[in-house]
Amino acid sequence: MIKINNVSMRFNLGIEKNFSLKLFFINLFKHKNKEPKKEFWALKNINFEVKKGEVVGFVGCNGAGKSTLLKIVAGVMKPTKGSVEKYGNICPMIELGAGFDMDLTARENIYLNGAILGYSKDFINEKFDAIVKFSELEDFLDVPVRNFSSGMVTRLAFSVATIVEPEILIVDEVLSVGDIAFKQKSEQKMKSMIKGGTTVLFVSHDIRQIRELCNTVIWLENGMVKMQGEANQVCNEYEAYMLNR
Amino acid sequence: MYINNILSSLKKYKFLMNQLISRDFKVKYKRSILGVLWSLLYPILTMTVMALVFSNIFKFSTPGVNYLVYLLTGLVMFNYFNEASNLAMSSVVANFSLINKIYIPKYIFPISKCLFVGINFLLTLIPLYIIIFITGTPLNIYHLLLPYSFVCLFIFTVGMGLILSSISVFLRDMFYIYGVVMTLWMYITPIMYDIKMISEELQIFFKLNPLYHYINFARRIILYNEIPTPFTFVICAVTAIITLLIGVIIFKKSQDKFIYYI
Repeated sequence: MIKINNVSMRFNLGIEKNFSLKLFFINLFKHKNKEPKKEFWALKNINFEVKKGEVVGFVGCNGAGKSTLLKIVAGVMKPTKGSVEKYGNICPMIELGAGFDMDLTARENIYLNGAILGYSKDFINEKFDAIVKFSELEDFLDVPVRNFSSGMVTRLAFSVATIVEPEILIVDEVLSVGDIAFKQKSEQKMKSMIKGGTTVLFVSHDIRQIRELCNTVIWLENGMVKMQGEANQVCNEYEAYMLNR
Repeated sequence: MYINNILSSLKKYKFLMNQLISRDFKVKYKRSILGVLWSLLYPILTMTVMALVFSNIFKFSTPGVNYLVYLLTGLVMFNYFNEASNLAMSSVVANFSLINKIYIPKYIFPISKCLFVGINFLLTLIPLYIIIFITGTPLNIYHLLLPYSFVCLFIFTVGMGLILSSISVFLRDMFYIYGVVMTLWMYITPIMYDIKMISEELQIFFKLNPLYHYINFARRIILYNEIPTPFTFVICAVTAIITLLIGVIIFKKSQDKFIYYI
């Protein structure tokens, strides 16, 4: 179960510009009367609740705040205001292969990436063969990942990330990776994970997938919930809106 | 309560810490022929160079004790601090791609670097003891107290690593500034000379440097066959713990903002 209470997220724009050694020391000595910074509210007062086993899709144009919202739920960012309540272990599939070290072999990376995702050693030992089998990279286990093609890297990453059965699954546009054959396989895997009773938060620009997989859809627009409700209904409205823009 | 939290998360992330440390080892030696042997050879060779330069060219010496052992004791400990604090400083920035995508307690990165260099440090004790034997410096029972100063040095380094890694996120200039600071720090720490060679007034300032006390602790035992004074015991623990506390506070306060700056 996930509960989002009044979450707002503020970013300061132009942080890079305003930050220099000189300003650092100036600001050190004058805490007050700082210049007002340019602010950008990526999320404004978001409220919703996801029940156990529910599959929630998020739609909205680029920059609407979908990924920021998922990162807040995953615990990567802390909201400026509001709070997030979540129960159960989370498997964030926000970007695959983030923890790979290109100098290590596939075998070593499975352990490293598994550890980063919070798996225990015994768990990885137990699932190692399954991971390798799914990735179909048996022949390249002791090759440094540096020499892999990008498709092979994502296949490995996908296989490591999806080996768990998490209670909460966060998916940001990673439904299908690799060549056509692996694409089908990974889509099947994702679908079986999603249908397997886990709670899913799912961001995609593919409305077909959203309709197919989600019970509820939340439509974000400029950091606010524009519409929320039954999947087909929201998707119809969203598509009509996007086409008439 | 808070301590409990830390301990349980340390337990939970122990495997990750192991993996990060072993990754560092593998990556460090993967493409060299001699591999892990470099962990031993590198310090031996650099220490030999230092020893040759300072005892033969500059004719430094320490009355009553073997200069080589004197130099190496200081060097081994200072090198640990230098390498560990530098790696810890860049650890958070270097792992940004991870921090931005998945929740991991961020303190893991500086601490795993301090531990990684710590293992290397333990390996450099082997050549140090070989030199101690070769030069005929007598051993004594107080050597069993040495881990005390190593632990203090480690705690101090972790504290510094936490401070440096959080500052360097907001201020990339820190990487350059710290390079300069370390050069200065190396010379104001009595590594190649004896603190008694400096004027009395300056000595007071030199003794504000915690590294001096950790090194002094080890030298009292290894070279002078005596138990360090109670004052040395206390000052070592106090400086280490205070630095760690400052580090924890700074890191804890700033870690949620890291993500906006990296």
